[in-house]
Amino acid sequence: MDIFIGIDTGSVSTNVIALDENINVLFSKYIRTKGQPINSVKEGMAMLKEELDDSCVVKAVGVTGSGRQMIGLMVGADVVKNEITAHAAATTHFYPDVQTIFEIGGQDSKIIIVKNGIVTDFSMNTVCAAGTGSFLDHQSERLGVDISEFGDLALTAQNDVRIAGRCTVFAESDMIAKQQYGYSKADIIKGLCDALVRNYLNNLGRGKTLNPPFVFQGGVAANKGIIKAFEDQIGHEVIIPKHFNVMGAIGMAIMAKNQVEHSGQSSKFKGFDFINLEFTPKSFECTGCANSCEVIKVINNGKTIAMWGDKCGKWSSSI
Amino acid sequence: MKISFPYMGQVQGYKKLLEFLGHEVIMPQKPTQHTFDIGVLHSPEFICYPFKVMLGTYIEACESGAEMIVSSGGSGPCRAGMYCEVHRRILKQMGYSTEILIFDSLKKHPIRFVKQVLRLKNKTPMIKLIKAFIYTFKLLPLLDNIDEIIKIKRAYEINSGDFDKAREKITEMFEATNKISELCGVYKKAIEIIDAVPIRLVDEKDRVKIGIVGEIYVAMEAATNMEIERRLNALGVEVYNVQNISGWLKHNIIPRKFNTSKSWKAFDEGSRYKRCACGGHDKENTGWLIEFAKNGYDGAVHLMPFGCLPELITRSIIPQMTSDLDMPILTMSIDEQNGEANTQTRLEAFIDLCKSKKKAKNEVYQEKKESHTVGV
Repeated sequence: MDIFIGIDTGSVSTNVIALDENINVLFSKYIRTKGQPINSVKEGMAMLKEELDDSCVVKAVGVTGSGRQMIGLMVGADVVKNEITAHAAATTHFYPDVQTIFEIGGQDSKIIIVKNGIVTDFSMNTVCAAGTGSFLDHQSERLGVDISEFGDLALTAQNDVRIAGRCTVFAESDMIAKQQYGYSKADIIKGLCDALVRNYLNNLGRGKTLNPPFVFQGGVAANKGIIKAFEDQIGHEVIIPKHFNVMGAIGMAIMAKNQVEHSGQSSKFKGFDFINLEFTPKSFECTGCANSCEVIKVINNGKTIAMWGDKCGKWSSSI
Repeated sequence: MKISFPYMGQVQGYKKLLEFLGHEVIMPQKPTQHTFDIGVLHSPEFICYPFKVMLGTYIEACESGAEMIVSSGGSGPCRAGMYCEVHRRILKQMGYSTEILIFDSLKKHPIRFVKQVLRLKNKTPMIKLIKAFIYTFKLLPLLDNIDEIIKIKRAYEINSGDFDKAREKITEMFEATNKISELCGVYKKAIEIIDAVPIRLVDEKDRVKIGIVGEIYVAMEAATNMEIERRLNALGVEVYNVQNISGWLKHNIIPRKFNTSKSWKAFDEGSRYKRCACGGHDKENTGWLIEFAKNGYDGAVHLMPFGCLPELITRSIIPQMTSDLDMPILTMSIDEQNGEANTQTRLEAFIDLCKSKKKAKNEVYQEKKESHTVGV
């Protein structure tokens, strides 16, 4: 059987998925990155390898996410793309008539506007993390509530609490104040969910007309409190895809499949053997000029296989 | 006298002019992280980004022993008009005795303008002064033309770095040319060098063209906008930047009545969205965006320093323009806090968007053409 692999290596989670020819998800794994993108990808790929039988042939691989450059090189990706394009590719496949995609990940959040299956506009948070998953992660830790119970708890809230969501730090001090006023944990969590969505819609949705159908994806879409807050604030039903937390990876597998089929070339996939190889990223500050670029190099078997991060191309073109 | 100037655009041209007038030029460094850091350190927090970078450049020039800094001024609602006064005070407070000479509007302050030219003239005979000006005014458009061609061709560069090497060679060639009569010959040779760089051939209908508009300093100086032109070229798209020094000179020096520059045309075109100019080049930029759409560009990038009021006004009408003109426009606000990963992701996504829009357009066109053929 032919399979197509998609990898999304993000700040909070690393997702590995495999599709069959008809874009059915055969395998999907959501792993917490914990600051180790290389190990997380290896872990995910090792699990995938176990699941596959001998008849499976990897036909294409696509990589996205903040670590896409390095991981793409490591696995031998056919397509390396940014997260926005990847998410849109998956969503438009499953929901061809979608017009607005909300995506909230660990450190990025995006709104993608789609018309007739083509992305026409997007925005991405640039200033603050107050509209992202990390914000919730952090606050759940503070409140001593596991993030997986966060959403359900929010739904049990009795009162509306307005928490300032402009900035993570101020939200936190506001939250502490509200705790002292005697609001219950559930109320405060609902307040946080409302603040996150309000902040997200204000920052990213500004100047954009948001039309239904709305699809909400990314790790945060697991949170029922946030879904409720979205539906309340936009006044419309929000669709949560079945594979909401791995949509970026699915999008990449679809794009890699298209690319390989379109070009007729065979995949650049290096095989599963890389799981046992050692890839060490190292960074150093270049002293060539006052720019002091942070140059990253990836070493495999004592050999430098890639370098990037320099403004002038002195290192990246030396490979 | 040891003279320096802000690093912006074709610095080679300014250097030549000052050398002709018998000055020793302290060549400003291309702004680096160090420049940004010291500029930000000594600037008011909420001042525009160009102010901070220019201050950093000035401090570096003072450190290298510059006795005078020559720059252009500004007038109108934009804060650029007060840059010079604040720069002067900050440098004085820091203990530098470097003088700052600002060339403001010739129309508003003709006597001051002429006096300053005479100061710079530095006992150079009049005939030599005129020759120096003619040389510079001929040189700057040539250099801008060369860069304009490179920004298109570099999208199809086969061996990364070829065009940079070619450009370095061209800079050296012009450096060795001091006669007005030789400029055209050197330019021809420069074009030959560029044409000799191997590039991928691309079908006309697959060429993706992106226009850049924005505040003049961040749009013109690559070091401040994270080399956006280079990044776009690396994504395989052609770039046309409306801001360059020769365009600015043409716009400002020739009286409006006889001025045929494209930027004045864009200025008039901008009236469709703005009844008056709000400062900087905001009205021209609005007009340029309309021009891009008319000329079939696939998208435009609008660059603004964080907190730039004139461009903020442009930004607020961009959603309307995007739908009126049916052309994607990406606004990027730039300052010392910019993250590279975020910028790259947004640029890549934007180019994907432009490309898929173009592809869809091409397909519709193809279908129409085919159905037409069948009809015949």
